[in-house]
Amino acid sequence: MIGRARVVAASLAAAVALLVTLCPAAAHHVGTYVPKDNEITTNFKQIKFSVEAGKFAVARRLFDTGPLQTDMRARAARLPAGLEAGLRAALEGGDGAEVERGLTIFFAALARDLAREATRQTADPTLSREACAAIGARFLEAIWRYYNLVDFAVARRDDRTSVVIRLAFDEATGYAKSIAAPDKLREPLTRIAQALSAFIDASTPARRGS
Amino acid sequence: MIPETRAPLQWRLPPVAVLLTAVVLIGCAEVGGASMVRFKVELTRWARHAMLARPATHGLVGVRDVDERVLDEALVKFDAGLRLFHLHAEGMGLVIIATTTIAATLAGSPASRRPIIVLLTVGGAGYPLGYLVWSGLIPYYGPERGKTVAEWLVWTPFGGATIVALWWLAGLVAWRMMRRERG
Repeated sequence: MIGRARVVAASLAAAVALLVTLCPAAAHHVGTYVPKDNEITTNFKQIKFSVEAGKFAVARRLFDTGPLQTDMRARAARLPAGLEAGLRAALEGGDGAEVERGLTIFFAALARDLAREATRQTADPTLSREACAAIGARFLEAIWRYYNLVDFAVARRDDRTSVVIRLAFDEATGYAKSIAAPDKLREPLTRIAQALSAFIDASTPARRGS
Repeated sequence: MIPETRAPLQWRLPPVAVLLTAVVLIGCAEVGGASMVRFKVELTRWARHAMLARPATHGLVGVRDVDERVLDEALVKFDAGLRLFHLHAEGMGLVIIATTTIAATLAGSPASRRPIIVLLTVGGAGYPLGYLVWSGLIPYYGPERGKTVAEWLVWTPFGGATIVALWWLAGLVAWRMMRRERG
């Protein structure tokens, strides 16, 4: 009797051991991907944390030698005039609020340009619904990566804009997940671009005075 | 105290071809791991070029802020495939040696011993190659489609062979233990 119990127990143990060993193999575990910061968002965080710590000399060096400034110059035509000069002056003068304003405008402009490009690309009539939804989802991810960094600053300056963008983003994400209505994606994307444009205009001193 | 009346178990080695396969597999794992480190830059550059040459396959939209994220994910998975090949080839080499030794020793009948050893060897040696295949397919077909191809071509048939052989062996061992207890 004891012998039979031992056999049953050993067989069960062997079965459990096999299951535990083989379950991961059956799932073909191939790892997971965690999106990383790109060089611009990394540089933004470096500058922001240096400013918050009151290390303006460090922040200025990070700005002068970093990819954020390079990108700012490359996009100068689509950014408010004098944004780079204003940001540098704020870093030299130790004006944290002005640095935050400049960086917020820059990232809002990045998100706005992506929203405009997403609207343009998803309007392509030759795209299938699946392709349209996939492109929309990828653009939304990129928009959020930039906008998320400055949402708090945007909300502090203009909470209505922040709410409008968040609602439009949620709506667009819903459309991008469902291949049933990818054509509806353009409407919230356009709203995001318009809200960000209005925010950039309102936050730019030259326009504010006019 | 129960007196021990059973004869001690005489361990038998599996056939030389099986041992050779396991050793070659472990060797491939080591060479693969070393090459992955030594040629990391070249491999990444090649994969990136191959992906940029196929924008439609990878859903590239021509905007750096969007495409870099897509390329980064594919490159991380390309690297993961090479790492998993290294890991699984090392492990499965040892699994082949251990399980075929048990089969050679405990599976009494050649009718069951031979197919179990063949399945364990072929399945164990083939399964890790799936990760290499997956990695190689990523630049051409993307991570998800590459994974599907690797699953159908390699992981499912070879992994399935190993699973069948291991269950068969477990059943034989359990049967043998029950017979010995009865006898």
